[in-house]
Amino acid sequence: MASSFSLSPTSPAAASLSASHRGPATQHSSASVGFRGSPERQALFSRIAPAYDNLNDLLSLGLHRVWKRMAVSWSGAKKAERVLDLCCGSGDLAFLLSERVGPQGEVTGFDFSKQQLLIASARRDLSGKTCYKNIMWVEGDALNLPFPAYYFDAVTVGYGLRNLVDKRKAMEEIFRVLKPGSRASILDFNKSSNAFTTSFQEYMIDNVVVPVASTYGLAKEYAYMKTSIQEFLTGKELEKVAKEVGFSNAKHYEISGGLMGNLVATR
Amino acid sequence: MVKGSKALLCPAADAIKRALSDFLVCPLSKQPLRFCERTQSLVNDALGVSYPIVDGIPCLVPKDGKLLDDPGVPQSDPNSTDPSSNHR
Repeated sequence: MASSFSLSPTSPAAASLSASHRGPATQHSSASVGFRGSPERQALFSRIAPAYDNLNDLLSLGLHRVWKRMAVSWSGAKKAERVLDLCCGSGDLAFLLSERVGPQGEVTGFDFSKQQLLIASARRDLSGKTCYKNIMWVEGDALNLPFPAYYFDAVTVGYGLRNLVDKRKAMEEIFRVLKPGSRASILDFNKSSNAFTTSFQEYMIDNVVVPVASTYGLAKEYAYMKTSIQEFLTGKELEKVAKEVGFSNAKHYEISGGLMGNLVATR
Repeated sequence: MVKGSKALLCPAADAIKRALSDFLVCPLSKQPLRFCERTQSLVNDALGVSYPIVDGIPCLVPKDGKLLDDPGVPQSDPNSTDPSSNHR
């Protein structure tokens, strides 16, 4: 996987708030009010784009790379298959999928933030790896996918579903574009039913994530993370929605002590 | 400059043509799109909407689609690539 860019803590992106996509973000009340809609979330993720990769590594102590490899394994993607990484951001999952499906396969990295896609594209070019030529970047709306039905052998979503304003609609679209028998692997923070886990998550966000993000001038954007987890669905709720939209099987796996979770849904 | 531009556009154009002929559809109607080489955009003739391609990345956000009766959007293009009729 290509390495992330090096950034000084004082490199902010453009203003305008709103985003929907993966990755950590925190801050309570005031930030949550400003990130209600899709345009606000889109702008949030465009704004954090330059610092996104660095912060992912810092805030998860590099563990996000392990979680993403697990998500790709769960997707069941194989050589020469055609796969979609939804809410691809700067491309971490797309690059992993590219290596897995190989040069005969096709990877589509899809996101609504042009800034994130440009970073993903640049990372691909800087890596010099020829296997990444099988990746196509597409900008669009996860609730209105520009792909035909029954098209993909696997779909992954990494820290994206939580940020979409209509999770059910997103699941319906993922279902639509999957081939029968294929899987969606959706990695995200776990909205835990365990009070201790929830308290620990919130403590880490308030006392680690936000202070670290503030050194990049992104405290408010990352403070949004706590509210987005509070408003997310639990593992059981995700399984229920997946089955309601048509998936034949759905199982949510908790990882890293319940801090993270991965939904595996089979069409 | 023209040669340089052409060299830069060729890989993107190849990727776009592959995408057009293979899988991209209109995000609103899910119908095939026509690639307009002149404007480097993807066109849904049935709905009369076109979507831009910027820096080699197709932009298929519904709200960014332009109506074909806008002055800057082509109604038809003899050089455009016809989409395949079956995407499955």
